[in-house]
Amino acid sequence: MSEISIQREDAQRMGFFTDTTVCIGCKACEVACKQWNDLPADGAVFRGKGSYDHTGQLGADTWRHVRFIELLEPSEIAREEAARALANGAGGQLPQIPASELAEAGAGVRSEEIPDLVSMASQEVDVARAVADMDRWVFMSDVCKHCTNAGCMDACPTGALIRTEFETVILQPDVCNGCGYCIPSCPFGVVDRSHDDGRASKCTLCYDRLEDGMEPACAKACPTDSIQFGTYEELVNLAERRVAKLHEKGLDRAYLYGAGDAPENAIAGGLGAFFLLTEPPERYGLPADADSPIQQNVVPATLAAMAAAFGAAASVAALFRFRARFLTGMAVAAAGVEAWRS
Amino acid sequence: MSPAVGKSGGPGSWKRAVKDGAVALHARDWADAKWSSIFARDSAYAADSADPEAIAAANLRGRGTEGEIQGPMMKPAVWTWEVPTYFWFGGMAAGASFVAFACDLSGDHDSAVLARRVALGALMPCPPLLVADLGRPERFHHMLRIFKPRSPMSMGSWCLSLFGGIAFSAVVSDLLERPRLARFLGALSVPVGAYLGSYTGVLLASTAVPVWKQSARFLGPIFVSTATLTGAGAVRLTVSSHQTKTALARVEDAAVTAELVLSAINRRRLGSLAVEGPWFSRAQWLVRGGLAARLCRLNPLASVCFMGAALCYRFGWVRAGHASATDDAAVASTARLHITQH
Repeated sequence: MSEISIQREDAQRMGFFTDTTVCIGCKACEVACKQWNDLPADGAVFRGKGSYDHTGQLGADTWRHVRFIELLEPSEIAREEAARALANGAGGQLPQIPASELAEAGAGVRSEEIPDLVSMASQEVDVARAVADMDRWVFMSDVCKHCTNAGCMDACPTGALIRTEFETVILQPDVCNGCGYCIPSCPFGVVDRSHDDGRASKCTLCYDRLEDGMEPACAKACPTDSIQFGTYEELVNLAERRVAKLHEKGLDRAYLYGAGDAPENAIAGGLGAFFLLTEPPERYGLPADADSPIQQNVVPATLAAMAAAFGAAASVAALFRFRARFLTGMAVAAAGVEAWRS
Repeated sequence: MSPAVGKSGGPGSWKRAVKDGAVALHARDWADAKWSSIFARDSAYAADSADPEAIAAANLRGRGTEGEIQGPMMKPAVWTWEVPTYFWFGGMAAGASFVAFACDLSGDHDSAVLARRVALGALMPCPPLLVADLGRPERFHHMLRIFKPRSPMSMGSWCLSLFGGIAFSAVVSDLLERPRLARFLGALSVPVGAYLGSYTGVLLASTAVPVWKQSARFLGPIFVSTATLTGAGAVRLTVSSHQTKTALARVEDAAVTAELVLSAINRRRLGSLAVEGPWFSRAQWLVRGGLAARLCRLNPLASVCFMGAALCYRFGWVRAGHASATDDAAVASTARLHITQH
């Protein structure tokens, strides 16, 4: 990539693989990120509506955000899938501990006094449904995607947003003047401008730690290794094998968001930080597809705009020469049609 | 809320204890990233191999499934009133430069001199407005730090500076009674003004905001119409030549017609993505008022109404972006539009 601004020999593309199937929503990554990057608190605001996620979204001072995908009604597909997986013996068996053994453990309690909870459960609880209901809570540690086609970087007029030798996208705080153009240019809503600071900011994939050969703070802190860090190729390979494993186990809904796609289907040219998801992308607040808006639109929009502008300049000159009496009538007609339509 | 070291949002004051020293207690080359049991050889975490085609198919299947939306999907622009006001003044300057050129072509050099002064006058508030909108106004000069053709904001900054230089030189040439030089500079300002009056539409179209993005080929032409309208209106209020005044009235009528027709077509294309709002209806009422004034031969009032309508259109478009970006369903469905095209 010619747009790499910092050259270093032997530097490889580094990334994050966030596996949502092992995330426990502990928010350790959020805390570790804030601590390492010295980010101020967001303030203790309870979001209400029974949500346990009080961070809400990524922002100028929140570079990792554990999204809680809450109160999801399991779909029919999810139930069938769980039933099929259980029938295939996946997920292990519920422990069958006889009540008599439990009774022996409890001194002075006769076995007939203790209900056989396990057999009760297997009779009355729809296990397949219970497993499917686990999807009522899914967690996803969201982060800057470090896109191959980075909308924020294409937009930045000051050159504050650059690509590093690790092919990550970082924002240089000493260059940014807070113009705010990167904010609507990010299709994932990652970048934001800090209210009290005036500059935009976002995840750097711990560029300072990477330079020292250390893994980013969030990946270091993650207790379940839901956030995995490594060289991009290695991570994609691992992620693909993980999806294959989940498919083997019957979780057919598992898929990768941002990696492993054919080039024409890649999200923003491939995401440096990609995810393993089990639900449709919108549930996680992710677009089903994305690309750098500038790379999509700037050429046709500029051509149309310039053609119109030269046309306008020529028309002004022409209208100075030729009297056209019908123009007021046309304007009145157009306004009339608009008034009628609205 | 305040960080432990450094300023909020700024770099922490961090210093190595030993110059060029290694960080203690960590394994080099990110070896510490692989502490987890899931990387162990006998781990059941991932399959031994994966079929890339199956993964790609699963990805498309996963992203192709529509789900309930749990936003926020993206972030709206943080721009306040300064930006639409700048769009209005910048458009006026560009429109006035078209008019000055047309006046020169038709031989009315006195009006051309006035039009060039209007162009410079309209341009004067632009830099302060843009600087005021920055998060870090004292760093406004970073806008001209690099020349970045793919970023409309970078090109716009350069264009604004160039146009300012040309417009100022043209007015100075008029004052020094160098008419030929002034006319040359006036002609030169037309192509620069063509970009100045239209790039603002390109800038909005090159973001991920649904209503702007989906209007990509229309925003530039719509903004050019508004620019021509305001330029003609502003010059019309200042010149005395009767012939030029009637010509400018024709230009206003044509620009209003173009604005209304282009907006109507675009709204029809957008369908449910189109955003209505108080600013658009204010603009529509001002257009109707202006046309009524025109029919009653109150031409100066018509110019004022049209210029007011143009300002309302600018505010309308910028505010529409805010409404559209916070409309999670609109963002999600726009992203889906692209995936179904694959």
